[in-house]
Amino acid sequence: MKKAIRVVIARLGMDAHWRGSVVVARAIRDAGMEVIYLGNQMPEAIVETAIQEDVNVIGLSTLSGNHLELAPEVVRLLREKGIRDILVILGGTIPPDDIPKLKAAGIAEVFGTGSSLEKIVRFVSGSD
Amino acid sequence: MSKLFNEDVVEEITRKGDRWQQSTGHGGKANDREFRTLSGISVEPVYTPEHTADMDYLRDLGFPGEPPFVRGVHPTMYRERAWTMRQLAGYGPPEETNKRYKLLLSEGATGINGIFDYPTLRGYDSTDPLARADCGRGGVAIDTLEDMRILFDGIPLEKVSSSLVTCQPICNITVQSMYFANARNRGVPLDKLTGTSQNDFLMETCMATAPGVLPPKASFKLSCDAIEYCTKHAPRWNPISFAGYNYRESGCTADQEVAFVIANAIACSEEMVRRGLDVDDFAPRLSFFMNGQSDFFEEIAKYRAARRVWYRVMKERFKAKNPRSLAFRFHVQTAGVALTAQQPLNNIARSAYHALSAALGGAQSVHIDGYDEALCIPTELSSITALRCNQILQLETRVTNTVDPLGGSYFVEALTSKLEEKILMLLEEMDGLGGIVKATETGWIHGKIADAAYEYQNDIETGKMPVVGVNCYRMDDEVLPIELFEVPETAKVQEKRLKRIKKERSDSEVRRALDAISRCCDEDGNLMEVIVESVQSLVTEGEITEVLKDKYGVWNPPLF
Repeated sequence: MKKAIRVVIARLGMDAHWRGSVVVARAIRDAGMEVIYLGNQMPEAIVETAIQEDVNVIGLSTLSGNHLELAPEVVRLLREKGIRDILVILGGTIPPDDIPKLKAAGIAEVFGTGSSLEKIVRFVSGSD
Repeated sequence: MSKLFNEDVVEEITRKGDRWQQSTGHGGKANDREFRTLSGISVEPVYTPEHTADMDYLRDLGFPGEPPFVRGVHPTMYRERAWTMRQLAGYGPPEETNKRYKLLLSEGATGINGIFDYPTLRGYDSTDPLARADCGRGGVAIDTLEDMRILFDGIPLEKVSSSLVTCQPICNITVQSMYFANARNRGVPLDKLTGTSQNDFLMETCMATAPGVLPPKASFKLSCDAIEYCTKHAPRWNPISFAGYNYRESGCTADQEVAFVIANAIACSEEMVRRGLDVDDFAPRLSFFMNGQSDFFEEIAKYRAARRVWYRVMKERFKAKNPRSLAFRFHVQTAGVALTAQQPLNNIARSAYHALSAALGGAQSVHIDGYDEALCIPTELSSITALRCNQILQLETRVTNTVDPLGGSYFVEALTSKLEEKILMLLEEMDGLGGIVKATETGWIHGKIADAAYEYQNDIETGKMPVVGVNCYRMDDEVLPIELFEVPETAKVQEKRLKRIKKERSDSEVRRALDAISRCCDEDGNLMEVIVESVQSLVTEGEITEVLKDKYGVWNPPLF
């Protein structure tokens, strides 16, 4: 049997909005993947958990506007540890101008306001 | 007895109504489309006296300003006192937000509605390592009394009413204390202050979580301390604004939104009575903050049902006598969650409908969202446009001419009664669970909200709930026509100021202040009594938080 995809979901920094992250976490779980829901964390702790839990995907969520500072840091910390096979994705209130910058920094995909769950699940499960 | 229709008439209307239904193929029920409100209440093709046959005018509706206040909390409502236009504002360091407050006031806003940044709302200083990326975001950064002085510099505190959106009690206990201490330093006595603090323990433990929140009981205690303090010292201040708005934004349905704010208000009232206060001393100052969502009629019915339920709760459970205790007063903000990042100018139309339902529902104050809020913090242009939208509603549409204009609509009255029924069922269920604090500790509330949020999203996903620009009428290669708001440099400004303050303040005074807070926790005293004094030492919000977390511990909300 194929091992289930493991995903860690975290809210970046102090962002308070949990609705999107919990809804996405549920959708991913309902699609048969394993979800570790972290709540609010800084990049160091997110990367540490991701490694310990041997996840395939890190899902970050933020609506506070801290994405340009914290999301690339998650990717950088992973690379510093020589990890390239964990996919980092981001959701939340993300101004469109920031998306190319985030992608250039190694974020695999950005799912802004209005993204469909189906699209997110398809991307995470690798069938996109 | 003041029944609206006699039984014979109702019977005849029902009979003819049945015939009409059959002749029209059940009013469109034959096709697949379900006709439901946003909260899932089934909607009939047409409403007639049949649906309001049980209604007794004087018992169930009454006159504006009189029990059960369904038609409005003031006798003449907007004819004499239009709703306050309270536009939310806050970002960056306090000197920047001070400028935005002054701009909004000079453009006709009639009150301040100040929001604080993420670290401040969670009790952290701007210099905390966890705060480094969120300082100045989502609101203004406040660390010490000095920041509060700058924030309200040049604004007449005795004239302007200030709503402090101090969501979490852990923030409110310090930030409201700073507002009061600053007023005193400016020679304004506390009993002259008008305003509101949010101060809702569900915000801390359920709606807007953070790294390391206080356990529900402790957060609830802080919230009650502020209510008790204001009852005794600042009688014109609303010490709590039950944040149904945020409950709804997190996922609640309309009936849950009302049931949860009222359950919370019941818990606070029980605690105040336990502390020896008379219900009519504090209840007139309990206020509510509601969400204006997209189901136009359901929202109007929701506000009306909330007034009826609150009246009965206060009258029957708490034996309140003062009419102000019995009246459900509320502020409305238009739903952020209904705004789209796609085709953002469409949001101006959405928010206008949300605000219109608030006006028809009898709101005391209204904030309209900026059209760009699904993309960024509102720009100056979107803030002013939102204020203008509010002014157009109030000055041009003439909806203010008469009170409760939809009162007596068969549909609105039937929906009001249906929502009331659903709210009462939820209240009974929560009573059975031991009240709202217990229901939070066990994660019951979190589960309810997350379920509703998931269902809402799935309805968008399947297209059952059309959202223009998102799941229908999308535009490919859309060019976003907006300038985005950039948060001014905050962390460095705050760090520099905090460094100077820490050097200049007296260490022994700070120590004494923190010791006093710590002692107050041990003795289970009222913390606001102590913190209003303590902040004069320029102790920081984060330093106070550390003491509180040390005494009460931290809690991990069961969200998933």
